Amino acid sequence: MMTALMIAIVVLASSAGDVFITRGMKQVGEISTMRVIELARIALRVIANKWFLMGLLSMAMSFFAFLAVLSWADLSFVLPATSLSFVITTAGAKFILKERISRLRLAGTLLVCLGVALISLPE
Amino acid sequence: MKTAVVLILAIVAQAIGNVYLTRAMKAITASSDGGGWTSIVARAIESPVLWLGIALLMVFFALYSAALSWADLSFVLPATAFGYVLNVWAGHYFLNESVSPARWVGAIVITLGVVMVSRSGVSGQEKAEMAGGGR
Repeated sequence: MMTALMIAIVVLASSAGDVFITRGMKQVGEISTMRVIELARIALRVIANKWFLMGLLSMAMSFFAFLAVLSWADLSFVLPATSLSFVITTAGAKFILKERISRLRLAGTLLVCLGVALISLPE
Repeated sequence: MKTAVVLILAIVAQAIGNVYLTRAMKAITASSDGGGWTSIVARAIESPVLWLGIALLMVFFALYSAALSWADLSFVLPATAFGYVLNVWAGHYFLNESVSPARWVGAIVITLGVVMVSRSGVSGQEKAEMAGGGR
């Protein structure tokens, strides 16, 4: 039960982190320069962006939950289970962003669910 | 060719990195003498094996990001999906985890699912270009 909760935190926090970081980086704008001074100025803007910082925090939370669950569960179970993030992003695209989900993506998402069910079977 | 080499190195670094993380976390909690979670955090920070695992995951991230600078995500993501199976193998081989047949099949099914999800955004023309272009 604790394992399921931790994996849920790993998956949800990293998905949230992806969304926050994307939002923050889009606000900062496309990075098209290679000049060091310009890049340093952009880096300052990135770390001052609140969406980016929330994303970073979410990613850190996800990583600590991953470390915690690895302290008692098998890597060969935990790592494949993190693929549930594909199910979360597909659900988010469908229900929050109202995107149309192609048949291929739906089939792939269902395969990921089936695979996670298989790795979760008791020995 | 460059993409293939970089991505293979990336998923190998990821699998070995995760092996070190698992080994470190199991050792830390096994030797923890009831000092609560603060003592676990203290031991984690001092664990060279944990830092080695983190360093390898940073190598993975650097190689993965580098590949994304010239290749499309819809190519890179399915190409690294085999990492799921590689991690299961690493857990079995290096950490002596017992992997049931259902778990092997599950990892392969997940890999197929991830390939399909990440290819679903690609149009027919792009697919043709990818098949033809030996990046």
